[in-house]
Amino acid sequence: MIGELYRQRALVWAFANRDFATRYRSSLLGWAWSLLQPLATLLVYAAVFSLVFRIQAPPLGSDPDRTSFAAFLFTGMVTFNLFSGLLMLSMTQLKSNGELLRKVHFPAWTPILGASVVQLVQVALELIVLVAMFLWLGNIGISWLLAIPILFATAMFGQGIGLMLSVVNARYGDVQYIVQVILQALYFLTPILYPLSLVEGTASWLANIVKANPLTWFVEAMHQVMYSLTAPQWWVIPGLLAFGFTVFWAGFTIFNRSSEDIGELL
Amino acid sequence: MSETFAITLDDVGKRFMRHADRRNTLKERIVRGRSRSTQDFWAVRNVNVQIPKGSVYGLIGHNGSGKSTLLKLITGIYRPTEGSISSDGRVAALIELGAGFHPDMTGRENIRLNGSILGLSKSEIENAMETIIDFSGLREFIDDPVKHYSSGMYVRLGFSVAVHMKPDVLLVDEVLAVGDEEFQRKCFDHLYTLRREGRTIVVVSHGLGQLEGLCDEVAWLDHGTVQEIGPATEVIGSYLHRVNAEEAKANAEIAAIRDDTTMRAGSGLIRSTGARLIDAQHASINHTETGTTFGIEVDLHCHEQVLGPNVRLAFQHETGPLVTMLSNHRIGFDFDYIEGDKTVTAFLADNPLLPGRYRVHIDIFDHTGSVLIDNWDDALEFTVRSPRGEIGQGFVELPYTYEIR
Repeated sequence: MIGELYRQRALVWAFANRDFATRYRSSLLGWAWSLLQPLATLLVYAAVFSLVFRIQAPPLGSDPDRTSFAAFLFTGMVTFNLFSGLLMLSMTQLKSNGELLRKVHFPAWTPILGASVVQLVQVALELIVLVAMFLWLGNIGISWLLAIPILFATAMFGQGIGLMLSVVNARYGDVQYIVQVILQALYFLTPILYPLSLVEGTASWLANIVKANPLTWFVEAMHQVMYSLTAPQWWVIPGLLAFGFTVFWAGFTIFNRSSEDIGELL
Repeated sequence: MSETFAITLDDVGKRFMRHADRRNTLKERIVRGRSRSTQDFWAVRNVNVQIPKGSVYGLIGHNGSGKSTLLKLITGIYRPTEGSISSDGRVAALIELGAGFHPDMTGRENIRLNGSILGLSKSEIENAMETIIDFSGLREFIDDPVKHYSSGMYVRLGFSVAVHMKPDVLLVDEVLAVGDEEFQRKCFDHLYTLRREGRTIVVVSHGLGQLEGLCDEVAWLDHGTVQEIGPATEVIGSYLHRVNAEEAKANAEIAAIRDDTTMRAGSGLIRSTGARLIDAQHASINHTETGTTFGIEVDLHCHEQVLGPNVRLAFQHETGPLVTMLSNHRIGFDFDYIEGDKTVTAFLADNPLLPGRYRVHIDIFDHTGSVLIDNWDDALEFTVRSPRGEIGQGFVELPYTYEIR
């Protein structure tokens, strides 16, 4: 798998270049637009959930007396968006490249990964904003470095699921709408808008669902290293990496098996 | 894999599901369950073809005979349902030119992208870039987004990219019919060059004349199975023979409808019931040659006695213009009183008509030339060939002489 990914890097890059060039070519503010949506969501959610529902974020790692709901929320959002962004974009790629796949034979996953490369730039922009928020709050720690493997595992997780679902979506066009709804539900079943302790204290059955949600593991790990500035237990990050890699490997394998006759399907 | 063959198709078959039967959404799939009916068809079946290295191989057949499916199988876009395909070397397809072009990107960016898709490395693309741009003849527009290109420019760029990726096997599907005369000639020249370089080319085309000149071997497909494989001239010959036979059959049916005399204009005192091409010995023929005497026989059926009618034969060239009109009144030939069944023959000595297809319309006027009795459009259609095989320049050969002093 790794070898194949490496061999096709030029093609993945060519598709990434295409998507880079065309994504915001005709809009003046370009990439700024891509930040507008998550920032607007952050603003609305932060206002509603901290002011109306009075949800308390856990104490900041740098100063146990202070909290920042916005920073807590945005940490979770960036992690979740990384996952859902890759998944949703990957899922529609076969269709949007259908014209090409019907006529030329080349590895069908290359345009998917190409699109993902562009999506990662968007995530990087969001990360810069997140880091800026924490710098402003003075919540800085060496544990930040652990965010890199966590985000990497998250990306593999999202990409793996995205690859699997892209073939299903090519066959059944309504899958992407169903997935959209499921992702929305997952958003609320992940401790993004509330700390995990809040659910644990209210309904244990709900807490069990939230804890069983793999995204919770990734988001919680990010909360720890970015917000609380603590290192998770030693097995957490290797575990997440192993999980992410397994999902990606499974997604890639399933994709390759079922996409051989993708030209006929589209 | 034999070393002498670039592509070997071994008992290849491809089955398709009927499109109408497919469940396109998950909802349909759940509501209507798994499709029960097995309405599928074989687009190609039992195909055994070996394409020698360095040869130009043609695929011919009517629309829907499976030519394009076969090409898609060779490129790997389709997987064979049965049998196996092996190819030696890099296969590139010109199935649809410019398929990977993105309208918002410039010509140059699209060359890079298309090159990568076709399997070229970055340096290979950059090396070929100038040659591709020159070949396409689009240097002036190469940094404009291709959405501003005309369809012809689009295809030219696509062809230029595809042929410059130096494939070992190049598959060409009906793309030679694009572009202007000059570019087409350029494409052909390039295909000949590739051929000289020892690359294998597989061409699908309806341009039989082009194929005959380009191909070494041709496979004729009919309803998904191979009818004949062999030297280009032979196979194209038997294919044409079949097409002509089928056309003649279809024409006979059309003729039957045409012969319906009740629908014709005119008083109907006389009806022409048949018309055919004959040679000087009154034997029926199906084509004639420039310079050879031939005649047109018209069967008449008179419902009552008619005095001196004028039977006129109008010759119309396939491109539309009326070439000439034969009239017995004009040359002073009087039929006098005729009744019952008669056969009128007009002879054209030393046929002055140049090669082409001609249609004959028949009308009959009474002896005054003012009352229409019968009018039969498209009574006959015939081909004039040249004994020397050249194509006609114009409609008729006039008697002429040259002189030099």
